[in-house]
Amino acid sequence: MDVVGLTPIIPVLFAFGLPLTSIIIKGNRKIIQAYALVGTGLTLISAFKLFQLAYSSDKPLIYTFGKWVAPIGIIYEVDRTSALIALVTAALMFLIAIYSYRYLEHEEGLEWYYTLYLGLEAGLLGVLLTGDAFNLFVMIEVTSIAAYALVAFYRGRRDAVHAALKYAFIGAIGTTMYFLALGILYGAFGTVNLADLTAKVHGMDFPLTGAPVGDIVVASGVALALATWAFLIKSAIVPNHFWLPEAHPAAPSSISAVLSGLVVNVGVYSLIRFLYTVYGGELAPGLAKVVGTLGTVLIALGAISALFGALMMNAQRDVKKLIAYSTIMHMGYLFMAVGLGTQLGLQAALFHIINHAIAKALLFLAAGMFIHAAGSRDISDLAGLGRQMPVATFSLAIATLSLVGIPPFNVFFSKLLLFNALMEKSFALAMVIVVSSVTALVAYMRVLYRVWLGKPSREVVMGESGSMAFVVLLLAAAVVVIGLAAPVILQHYIEPAAAQTMDYRLYIQTALEYASRLKIL
Amino acid sequence: MSTSEFLWAYLWVVLLLTLAVSLYGIIARPNMLKKIISLTILGDAVNVMVVLIGYRLTYPIAPPILPSLSKEALEGFVSSAVDPLPQALVITAVVIGMAVNILLAVLAIQLYRLYGTLDVREIAKRGGEE
Repeated sequence: MDVVGLTPIIPVLFAFGLPLTSIIIKGNRKIIQAYALVGTGLTLISAFKLFQLAYSSDKPLIYTFGKWVAPIGIIYEVDRTSALIALVTAALMFLIAIYSYRYLEHEEGLEWYYTLYLGLEAGLLGVLLTGDAFNLFVMIEVTSIAAYALVAFYRGRRDAVHAALKYAFIGAIGTTMYFLALGILYGAFGTVNLADLTAKVHGMDFPLTGAPVGDIVVASGVALALATWAFLIKSAIVPNHFWLPEAHPAAPSSISAVLSGLVVNVGVYSLIRFLYTVYGGELAPGLAKVVGTLGTVLIALGAISALFGALMMNAQRDVKKLIAYSTIMHMGYLFMAVGLGTQLGLQAALFHIINHAIAKALLFLAAGMFIHAAGSRDISDLAGLGRQMPVATFSLAIATLSLVGIPPFNVFFSKLLLFNALMEKSFALAMVIVVSSVTALVAYMRVLYRVWLGKPSREVVMGESGSMAFVVLLLAAAVVVIGLAAPVILQHYIEPAAAQTMDYRLYIQTALEYASRLKIL
Repeated sequence: MSTSEFLWAYLWVVLLLTLAVSLYGIIARPNMLKKIISLTILGDAVNVMVVLIGYRLTYPIAPPILPSLSKEALEGFVSSAVDPLPQALVITAVVIGMAVNILLAVLAIQLYRLYGTLDVREIAKRGGEE
């Protein structure tokens, strides 16, 4: 088995092995932690190999499960975009696993936490690597179920259980809609393989599945509308955002970092796959109209989300809720960029996914250090802790400055790219980025000011744990380094990835090479 | 319109109505348990729809058995057989739906333990504070 198929399998195996292992070792926390680190560490190594392979090969990598090729079996088709986001995902999951140990030192049930955590990682990687629309559905469900359960990790807390139930409800409706969309796509095109769908959308032949049987314009319109609805729910875009400001803060801070940094990307990535690969490039007039309309809707909803998120940030007392609204704002940016349908828009979206994941994870983890020390999420309870916790404050400052887009930190460069991409469309859209960033800056400065210079509400002596400090410092360093190296990263990693994702012919061709080996009676 | 066509159209209308009823239940019913039941109805309606997408109206109805292993028999079989792929997809979706429903049920039990009610209006009034 090669590294492409192996990458999501490692966390699955580790996840299923953990409940039994924890019985054998009688719930020893140190061994469970070591087990989780090995699981996420091996996944990281595998994802890194995958990343190297994808960038050294000039076409997407294919993995066929059980040697069943494209239109018959489920395949993994990994292009540079997938591999790049998978690397960031695996790296963050590994670092957050290091952080989790001290953060959860007072909690029971570490083995269940890591079972779900590894399951979540497997789902995320599966979403990124898969080349099959139905497998995408399964992997989204794997990710989601683990995420719902992790939100309810503090199962004795009212807000956590309520938020998880709400999240699970809206999530289940979304995935059901995506499943219906798949049924409609299958009814019209006779396939759920992404490469095959791409070929049929562009009027090309693919072995075995024949020509589309239905009215592909109507079917594409209905299916894309339903699927986009599901992705909007997964990425919390207005008006489907209402679960996020409750669900993300209710989880442990380590999980908030995973949810806000990585899980919301599932919707954006799936939409990129559908709009840029399957329905990318030159289309027949009917289909082009459908995709064009969808793009306009996405841009409008994205702009509303960005402004709404930025405004709501200023009305929060709970520090994690504030960060959660910032996630809605950044998802708004991403959907605006994805809706553009241009290569520059895709580059901006890709770079911003990565930068946002790192900076947002850092922000939640840094805020988590304060919450861990103070035992409260209220900003006024965190006042004045900053001077006692220099590492956490420093990281919080770096993360906030980065997220509002101050040079030379990483998000500045992706915001610049977003600005340029939106400028091609209209000046007003580009101004949305500026206005929302300034609004967010006010909210962040309020937090920083209170934490650093505020008057402590009570006398407490705070220490910083070594492992947690190590993780946030590493991420803070990553924020600065990616910022300083932005031109190089753009040129060597982002641009090739965007170009490959938009090259739908290559995507089809690679799957076709395998499919043509099929021998039919 | 023949009887079979009428029944076919009737089935689709009923399914769309079921979909609408289940969405109404999810949005408008205040009881969390009723909402979960509506969600399972939504899932089932979609599952039946996907099975129907792969269905084929043929008369006379033949059992899905390949009479003999020859090319002609296979061609005849393929021209009348129902598409099995949507059924395979639905089986997977049913299993996933079960997992989600169990999780929802557990969370609803936990919600009842914490609040003493499953009425969402009551829960919203009391808020997240202990």
